[in-house]
Amino acid sequence: MLKRRIIPKFLLRDGRLVKYRQFFDDERMAGNPVSTAKVYNDYGADEFIVLDIVPSEESKQQVRDIVKQMSEEIFMPFTVGGGVTSLDDINALLRAGADKVSVNSHAVRDPKFVAAAAQQFGDQCITVSIDYKEIAPGVPRVFIDGGREKTSHNPVDWALKMQESNCGEILITSIDRDGMMTGYDADMIAALDEKLDVPLVVSGGCGGLQHCIEAFGAGASAVAISSLFLFTDHSPIKLRSHLSSNGINVRASKTSRN
Amino acid sequence: MTSVAIIDYGRGNVRSVYNAFDYIGVDAVITDDATEIDNASHILLPGVGAFGDAVDALHARGLPEILHRNVIEKGKPFFGICVGMQVLAATGFEHGEHAGLGWLDAEVRRLEPGPDCLKIPHMGWNQVDLASEHPLFQGFSPETLVFYFVHSYAVTTPDTDKILGTCDYGAKFVCTLAWDNIVTTQFHPEKSQDSGIELLENFVSWKA
Repeated sequence: MLKRRIIPKFLLRDGRLVKYRQFFDDERMAGNPVSTAKVYNDYGADEFIVLDIVPSEESKQQVRDIVKQMSEEIFMPFTVGGGVTSLDDINALLRAGADKVSVNSHAVRDPKFVAAAAQQFGDQCITVSIDYKEIAPGVPRVFIDGGREKTSHNPVDWALKMQESNCGEILITSIDRDGMMTGYDADMIAALDEKLDVPLVVSGGCGGLQHCIEAFGAGASAVAISSLFLFTDHSPIKLRSHLSSNGINVRASKTSRN
Repeated sequence: MTSVAIIDYGRGNVRSVYNAFDYIGVDAVITDDATEIDNASHILLPGVGAFGDAVDALHARGLPEILHRNVIEKGKPFFGICVGMQVLAATGFEHGEHAGLGWLDAEVRRLEPGPDCLKIPHMGWNQVDLASEHPLFQGFSPETLVFYFVHSYAVTTPDTDKILGTCDYGAKFVCTLAWDNIVTTQFHPEKSQDSGIELLENFVSWKA
């Protein structure tokens, strides 16, 4: 049967890896994206995600170059996003070597964009990334522009709408939990899993191995992880063996070719 | 001298297949040129796009005839990946009914994951169960027979002798076929890390 996935997620700013708390606080630099991707390929991560968080015309070209270098060094699927506003942007990233392109703000601004992208490039290439934040207890809302702009959308309704637009996957990120390492939003995961037919990648809050078990228990297809791997001594290998011994169906740890 | 022609039909990401051969250290070229394909020892048809669109793109470049000459007539080892596997079928049912290349008595139909309501596309790593032995899978164990899939459609064929392996996603579907000098996989070896690299290494050392 299909294995649950472990996906390191990296944020890029001006071509360098960065990490924050709750999207804006406490910027920390975390290294070179290509060599980091290679490390996670060697660790046997299942995929990875790279998002350009402060996109500009200049960073777009930078990201394409990084994607091209990554695709030469690693042989696992990866998703790239940040600042995708046209079919040409998607085409350029796919041609550079990305397997999937994630669309976030532009999906909100142009409601026909995701359907058009899925039609042209295939459903499986198009991931819709959704960032949300609680604006009052129990009232989550979708935010765009890297968490800067609030929308009126409820994340579950928005995810369903994006599924109807034929996206291949949903990446859901809790802004409140980002970088806090206090655990995933299991209630949100369960609410999405109940409604969605497309795979669900969950992000925001992972700080321990147990958090991944909770996320999978709530219905996640894949866990996206950054802080846990960047700032603790946990690796995908350790996580994989922990998940496996807790009855979660993951790939066996890879055996080294060298 | 081993050299691989990776068939270019102008769709999506074929670069990763090239990069994988480059990593292995085998000569490969991404091409739709008849001479380059005629000169290659091995031929690989990568999988990108939807069924009908892929078949149309192959025809637009005159590739079915070139492939037929090299693979069916000359018997060169051939590897079809994902949609590159599916287009060999007689008929595909993705977004309407389309004729395929018809090298195989088969249809390409939407996955039906069954009562568990599993998610479509089937995306991620899954186990391959081999029905028989084949040089392509030489040296593999159940633990390494795990590959990356991303698809919503799969091949069904009455020609069960050609089914090399299946995969379970709520229901079993055909994930690898082999006959004569032809092998195909529904999964993506170029995205399957060490297992995929090993499979591509086996392919280039296969003399069919």
